[in-house]
Amino acid sequence: MSLLVAAFGFGLVSMSVIALAAVGFTMQFGITNMINLAYGEVMITSAYLAYYVNQAGVSIWIAMLGGAAFGAVFSFLINRFVYAPFQRKGTALLGMVIVSLAVSLMISNAMLPIVGYFSAAYRERFSRLLHFGSLALTVNQIAIIVLAIGVMLAVHALLRYTRLGKAMRATAANPTLARNCGIPTQRVIDVVWLITGALCGLAGVVAALDSDSFTIANGAGFLITALAAAVLGGAGQPYGAMIGAVVIGLITELSAAVWAPDYKQVVAFGILVAVMLLRPQGLLAKRGALAAAG
Amino acid sequence: MLAARDIHRHFEGMHAVDGVSIEVMPERITGLIGPNGAGKSTLLAVLAGTLPASSGTIVFQGEDITRLPAYQRARRGLVRTFQLPSEFAQLTVLENLMVAAPDNRGESLLGALLGKRYWMPDETRLVAQARGLLKRFGMNAKESDYAGTLSGGQKRLVEIMRALMLRPKLLLLDEPMSGVHPSIVDEIAGYLETLRDEGLTILMVEHELHMVDRLCDPVVVMAQGKVIGQGGMAALRKQPEIVEAYLVG
Amino acid sequence: MNTYYAANLLIFAGVDIIACLALNLQFGVSGIVNFSFIVFQAAGAYTAAILSMPPDTAPDYTFQIYFGGYQLPFPIPWIGGAVAGGLLALPIGLVVLRRLRADYQAIALLVTSIIANTVINNARPWLNGAAGVALVPQPLQEQLNADTHTYQYLYIGLTAICVAIVWFIAARIVNSPYGRSLRAMRENEVAATALGKNPTALKMTIFIVGGAIAGLSGAILVGFLTVWAPSTWLYPETIILFAAVIVGGRGNNVGAILGALLVPVGFEEVTRLLGGLNIGPPQLIPALEWVCIGLFILGFLWFRPRGVAPEPRHVFPGAPIREDTRWVEGTPAS
Repeated sequence: MSLLVAAFGFGLVSMSVIALAAVGFTMQFGITNMINLAYGEVMITSAYLAYYVNQAGVSIWIAMLGGAAFGAVFSFLINRFVYAPFQRKGTALLGMVIVSLAVSLMISNAMLPIVGYFSAAYRERFSRLLHFGSLALTVNQIAIIVLAIGVMLAVHALLRYTRLGKAMRATAANPTLARNCGIPTQRVIDVVWLITGALCGLAGVVAALDSDSFTIANGAGFLITALAAAVLGGAGQPYGAMIGAVVIGLITELSAAVWAPDYKQVVAFGILVAVMLLRPQGLLAKRGALAAAG
Repeated sequence: MLAARDIHRHFEGMHAVDGVSIEVMPERITGLIGPNGAGKSTLLAVLAGTLPASSGTIVFQGEDITRLPAYQRARRGLVRTFQLPSEFAQLTVLENLMVAAPDNRGESLLGALLGKRYWMPDETRLVAQARGLLKRFGMNAKESDYAGTLSGGQKRLVEIMRALMLRPKLLLLDEPMSGVHPSIVDEIAGYLETLRDEGLTILMVEHELHMVDRLCDPVVVMAQGKVIGQGGMAALRKQPEIVEAYLVG
Repeated sequence: MNTYYAANLLIFAGVDIIACLALNLQFGVSGIVNFSFIVFQAAGAYTAAILSMPPDTAPDYTFQIYFGGYQLPFPIPWIGGAVAGGLLALPIGLVVLRRLRADYQAIALLVTSIIANTVINNARPWLNGAAGVALVPQPLQEQLNADTHTYQYLYIGLTAICVAIVWFIAARIVNSPYGRSLRAMRENEVAATALGKNPTALKMTIFIVGGAIAGLSGAILVGFLTVWAPSTWLYPETIILFAAVIVGGRGNNVGAILGALLVPVGFEEVTRLLGGLNIGPPQLIPALEWVCIGLFILGFLWFRPRGVAPEPRHVFPGAPIREDTRWVEGTPAS
């Protein structure tokens, strides 16, 4: 029983990390129609940037902001100079998938000579353990959970209550119509890449912090969990991705507790396959992308 | 010919087609008209099997085809075209027609592996048939052009010829005149009349009322997913609620 | 360049040609973005390995753990490799290719590839985990007991026969009415369905054929290398083959062969040449090569999406002569 409680605690942390990653990923897809397979690599690259800042003596909680800023700029540039030109050229969805996979490959290999094969770790990776009955979490883990809840509320507020959020939803639903209604869709899409890129960078740092040590090869794993949560919740839907993150975070940690921790991703994959078989449109696909926002 | 009973089609909570029953009479061109968003194209897609019906039954030539997938409906002679050009862009015009040809022994993996000698007789016969169609539609000079390089009107013709290769019993046309240069619209209308006179049954979605006047009898009017009237064009014009819903609007 | 190296190069070229012909059938001709292609090669390699190896209890083999070990004579392991690739295509195809949208299919296959590698890597009792299987007997070596030199020529010959068989199959498919239907499905699946084509049947058949050929390529590879481990079939290996087919020319078998010679074989050569120069840290050159492969893909998709040898126009005998010979710069594999 206490094992399950402990696993539940880890599940809370996992779902926070996954939610941060999955919401950005799914918004990129929902609003810009781009399945960005380089997302995991941008995450890990941002984690490394934060690592270097952290090594220079800055607290990771501040370096994290650097990671988020880097993720935002990097994602924006990838879209501006690679994805957007190919999309304008009329490259089909499938072609774009190949383009983004090529970009992903280039990022991880361009990084490899810089960061090397060896694992890196933040200076603050160990923190005090707090007990709540049989639930035990470190201060870092609690901070991650609080951070994720804060960011999710911010995303909710952005989509629900701001003009920008309305414009994003309109662009997601029908870009041509949105443009005809006077929404500057190009600017909206630029801003979306900045915001989702920041989420991506932040998620990368948080995921790296949560997993104690990390290597450049972790990018693929980050991508898979984000993908699984996004697809589970219905691709393109931020609220769906949050629910997907909760489900995947809990199930993977419970399975790690009762089975083997090596297979966390395999369990996420199993969920993904089940969803694709039973409900390919995702759990929350009643209406179009982003529609659940209101 | 074709009878659809109480067809419903929901999209994510929206009722695109909401309890439609229609009957298509043989050897006529039945028109399907209505304002944008009336559910005409959705109905056509449901009849052809491109979209499954949420509920209702479709009977084609005495057979319940409601559960049949689209490709099997096509093989039974219920063939549709699309509102947007849907040519196989990187196939030549003649190849576009040949794809549609049924009964080619080379169409299976095994047939392909057995080689040319096995399927060439079928291929030769079907090429002759396809060239006959090309000639009839005045497209024989274009047979080796990539379909993607054709004009809007020529793409329409390719689509109609492609459908005819299947020797359809009922042709479902989704706005065959859209995107076509006005000078070719008359030509296409002429072809459709000839096909009707030769005994082909057609159900077509059309926007241009003068085309509907010329070609279609009877006409079915849809609005908001429901059929609001049917009959001859002249009779429909006398019904105020229909005129209000569509004909003047 | 010594003969040993030349033989190596020829055999790798043969394997890459076979793999590219198979991927061209799936991706170039049929528009299936099979990002888990390398998994089928791996399935063939592992199957050929356990069919030809003795059980893991045999002397010299006790340092590894694997199931099976049947010591079957050539050509059974190679045939088994092809069968395994084809059989594996069945469940994966049925899950992925039936209901999912095309871009989801690609992603599902990518994820499948990553996960399959993770599972085999972590599960030691099946196929010896991360260390992989080693000391795989070479085909016919025991019977012939030939010296290395002679054996290499034999292996080149066996590979060449397989290339010829695969070429024959690929050519017959591409030039047939069946191949035409595959291309039509690639261009517009909904329209092809409306013309009486069963898209699931078309996709499944070509997925299985491609999987079987990929399995054969793996069997050939493992018989030559005598080792096979998860690190040899990471998902980027699939991307090299995609780069080859895109560079060579999608939908054209000749293009697939050209691409195989230009990209995987060419890069292998460049590594060897640059590796001798000792520039930078050891991981620098391979890493930069991967960056180049990415650039190759982007560059070709941008400037020459139809590749070095584009898909030929299929003209029927007796067609009227045409003046205009331009081709459509179409959208890639839509």
